[in-house]
Amino acid sequence: MFSRTQSRTSRGVAVGAAVVSLSLTVSACSVANSDSAGTTAGGDVVRIVLPQEPPTLEPCDANLTSTGVVVRSNITEPLVERDPTSGELEPLLATEWEQTEPDTWTFTLREGVTFSDGTPFDAEAAAHSIDRAVNGTFGCNVEGYVFGDTELEVDAVDATHLTVTTPEPDPILPLRLSFIEIVPASASGTEKVREPVGTGPYKIEEWQAGTKLTLAANESYWGDAPAFPTAEYQWREEGTVRAAMITNGEADVATGLAPEDGLGDAGVDYPNNETTAVRATGTYAPLDDIRVRHAINYAIDRGSIVDSLFDGYAEVASQLVPDGVVGHNPDLEPWPYDPEKARSLIAEAEADGVPTDTEIRLISRTGLFPKVEETVEVVQKALEDVGLNVSIEMLDTAGSVQYQSRPYPEDTGPYLMLVQHGNQAGDAAFSVDQYMLSDGAQSTFGTDEFDAQIEAAGKEQDEGRQQAYADVFADEPDTIGQFAYIAHMTGILGLSEQVSYEPNSATGDEMRLAEMTPAG
Amino acid sequence: MLTFLRKRATTSLLPLVAVLLGVFLLARMTGDPAALYLPENATEAQKETFRTANGLDLPVWQQLLDYLGGVVRLDFGTSLRTGEPAAEMALRAFPATLQLALTTMVLAVVISIVIGSYAAYRPNSLADRLASFMSMTAASVPDFWLAITGVWIFAVMLGVLPTSGVDASMLSWVLPIATLLFRPAGVLTQVVRGAMVSALSAPYVRLARSKGADSRRVVTDHALRNAAAPALTVAGDLAVGLVNGAVVVESIFGWPGIGKLMIDSILQRDFAVLQAAVLLTAVTIFVLNVVIDLCYALLDARVRDKALV
Amino acid sequence: MWRMLWRDKPATVAALVLTLLVLVAVFGPMLIGDEANAQDLTRASRAPLEVDGWLYVLGTDQLGRSVLARLVVAARTTLSVAVPAVLISLVVGSLIGMWAGYHRGWRETVAMRVADVILSFPSLLMAVVVLYVFSPSARNIVLVLALTRIPIYLRTARAESAELASRLFVDAARTFGAKSSAIILRHVFPIVLPTLLTVATLEFCFVMLAESSLSFLGIGIQPPDVSWGLMVSQGRTYLQTAWWLSFFPGLAIVVATVSATVLAAWARLATDPGQRWRLTLPRRQRRRAVPAPMEEVR
Repeated sequence: MFSRTQSRTSRGVAVGAAVVSLSLTVSACSVANSDSAGTTAGGDVVRIVLPQEPPTLEPCDANLTSTGVVVRSNITEPLVERDPTSGELEPLLATEWEQTEPDTWTFTLREGVTFSDGTPFDAEAAAHSIDRAVNGTFGCNVEGYVFGDTELEVDAVDATHLTVTTPEPDPILPLRLSFIEIVPASASGTEKVREPVGTGPYKIEEWQAGTKLTLAANESYWGDAPAFPTAEYQWREEGTVRAAMITNGEADVATGLAPEDGLGDAGVDYPNNETTAVRATGTYAPLDDIRVRHAINYAIDRGSIVDSLFDGYAEVASQLVPDGVVGHNPDLEPWPYDPEKARSLIAEAEADGVPTDTEIRLISRTGLFPKVEETVEVVQKALEDVGLNVSIEMLDTAGSVQYQSRPYPEDTGPYLMLVQHGNQAGDAAFSVDQYMLSDGAQSTFGTDEFDAQIEAAGKEQDEGRQQAYADVFADEPDTIGQFAYIAHMTGILGLSEQVSYEPNSATGDEMRLAEMTPAG
Repeated sequence: MLTFLRKRATTSLLPLVAVLLGVFLLARMTGDPAALYLPENATEAQKETFRTANGLDLPVWQQLLDYLGGVVRLDFGTSLRTGEPAAEMALRAFPATLQLALTTMVLAVVISIVIGSYAAYRPNSLADRLASFMSMTAASVPDFWLAITGVWIFAVMLGVLPTSGVDASMLSWVLPIATLLFRPAGVLTQVVRGAMVSALSAPYVRLARSKGADSRRVVTDHALRNAAAPALTVAGDLAVGLVNGAVVVESIFGWPGIGKLMIDSILQRDFAVLQAAVLLTAVTIFVLNVVIDLCYALLDARVRDKALV
Repeated sequence: MWRMLWRDKPATVAALVLTLLVLVAVFGPMLIGDEANAQDLTRASRAPLEVDGWLYVLGTDQLGRSVLARLVVAARTTLSVAVPAVLISLVVGSLIGMWAGYHRGWRETVAMRVADVILSFPSLLMAVVVLYVFSPSARNIVLVLALTRIPIYLRTARAESAELASRLFVDAARTFGAKSSAIILRHVFPIVLPTLLTVATLEFCFVMLAESSLSFLGIGIQPPDVSWGLMVSQGRTYLQTAWWLSFFPGLAIVVATVSATVLAAWARLATDPGQRWRLTLPRRQRRRAVPAPMEEVR
């Protein structure tokens, strides 16, 4: 906690110096850019361009990337937050927490915090926030993401103390709660809010739907004032246009870029915690045969995809989560590329009567990540070359979500799904429960035995937890083999010369404006 | 005149209802919004609640009746995505597209008349062939390619225009309008040229010439008026087609218009907004067609008068 | 006829280009074989002439496939979408249009109102919605593009045939007891045809562009199939690093449509009895001949 405040203070000093030197650079730049209309970058506005407009700013949907990137840690804050680099939990609106009973956690809340509308932050507000997000009936996205069907019992003991009780002991409850953004007790408990109020360093100034979203510094913020008093968000669908806005001095930060968008030195790359994989629906022939699923693994040339398609901005994956997530197994080797082996496995399966010539649909979502279309084409061709009959289906979000998560449509026939999974929480439980349990929301099949192994791992703590999940990742390919992992992805961020900001693995989901400073 | 308008309005009401029906049914076939708006592992009960709250659990015909009942009371439903009234969203986005389309059409008409008649007056000259070739090329370049190339050349390389967005300065209008302009200007130039060539060789023009009318007056008074009829038809179709261009151009340039709104509401399965936006464009297109018909009638009368003289 | 074509040099070139195009579309894929889909990520996005071999004169795409081979294979897909779409809407639209224009009255009103319905639904959006409901296969793309373009022919054909229906020679045929379908086919159709053909060539261009826009929106021709429109759309993100990916297919669209338009302009003259004489003149005389033509025969 103290280290946090200190770092903010020292940054504050640096900012002061930066502003002085900036005023010189800006006056020089603004001449060059006098033709480009719009707000010119000064020391007071940071302009951000996103791939899409946030569909909503409702804090309980903040685990959705397009919402969270604006809302989280800017407008609203959680009780605790996970440091994306160290993986440790840091205090935020709660200063301390401890497991007071096996199934109960007690949080001590920060004092002297007010929401941007002037109401004080207290245990009532925190309890209401958790309750509406987790036990509410209006379909908060975060509920499904972190809590599944678990009902929580939340009690405000006094103004600064809060207890949360789970039906079963939950060792990572504080981590789960780091996804709940705190809103005032006045926030509706029956429907989503359009313009939320929070305790964060910024508040919503104006949302011109379709055009622009402006945030202004929250004067009553409990921490240090952010370096930029104003932040403007815009959105453009085309990566090349977002990159061009940086080059042309119309934006300071651009997200979701690809190597070929032509930013050159203005592009900053960072591991974004996302992993791409091909998921097989193991309930239909021929994908119900593990030899066919292994053949798919052998057929994909991950090295070439990473080197050539992603220009090296990725890392070949051997498991669902990247390094840095609790449970990542550092000893796993990527699946070797061996099309010969793949062909012989398929021939073997065919000899046993598996209908290997059945058409398999390869489904993915447009815009899932830059170059998703190309990746799908490469995978399709690779599978066809080893003797499978694969057709491509690119769908939009609404079209693909039914194939992506339960309940799946009936009689789909065999299909493969190119998925991208981001573990924002830093614990393998968030990935494994969804993707590997036989009835997991994004899993298509499994075995009781493996389910038991996963559930046992979830009850472990510390070292034992790491080891148990590492074993899960090591055992999955041979016992289940539902996935062919492709790559741990890298995000590319465009930065103008006016702003300095260091992206981290959480940037894609939560881009902290307070960490942006005018460049010197 | 008034009878014409009244007749047109009554006969147009039925097609409008047909458009509304079409979009309503088609939209309902694109899938269940519950999967999109609820968390990935929402329970069936939650989905049921969502459907009930938004009236999606009723049989389609009943949803339709409810909707039509609302339309009569000028209630076009609310957006699933933002919770705002759908009509408000459509009306807010509408002017942005209208401004783009109007400016584009005016420019296209002016350009095509100037170049088209210049070329037609000197058929098969170098200038004519150049104009024809350029206009054909202009009409056949994909608009999104033009837009992105334009951004690259004028914003990134030359730095003279903003890449995208809408702001107070007119500069941000240049690239979207230029992108939209290519096709209508190219097509119209060809049409004007073709019509002018025929008109200039028509007997009454030759008569006017033989009577000693000077050639510029022949072009403006006689030939151009005759060429106006076919040009008008094509211009009307092109204006309608601009809505298509708007979908692409508005997406690329972040222009908050109705094209972008429609495509977004399809992607978001935001039925009420899609219906309101389509209805609004349909009404606009109807008005446009009526205006074209009126112009036609006026033009026709004048042409007849002249011809009789 | 052939000699007439030969005298008009641009039309000759256009005819040759189109013939070549059709030959490429029909036989090209056989010659190319699997090359259009042969990926090799180690030679991805190479500029034209950078890799040896005639297949790579136009460079390679983002997956290391020969751009030339893909252009050839895409020619077939593109034409097999554009040509049927134009033909279907041409035939359906002009038949209904001539019928409506000839009979006037309620038939005309109904046809025109139906056309209004289709026209007032932005065609690209209609295509988007329909292709979301039904899969974006080549057949569905053809059907939806044809459907949305029918009103264009319908209105043109109706306007012209309505005008002709009041002409003397049609009246004469009617008084002699000819059946209306015969009158439409024998007297109305030949006169309306040149206009319809001109519209159709413009539409040929429109359909190719629409197919390309559909690809831009992600619901056009689906890989591993490839069309010119899809190639332009896929190449657009590489404009700054590999311009040839979107430039050559774009050029192909332009060349095809310009040739079609030139040829159509010529055909319009050649099929118009009143104007055909112009084509028999050498080019230099023609220029002078236009402002003061000989008496027209109608």
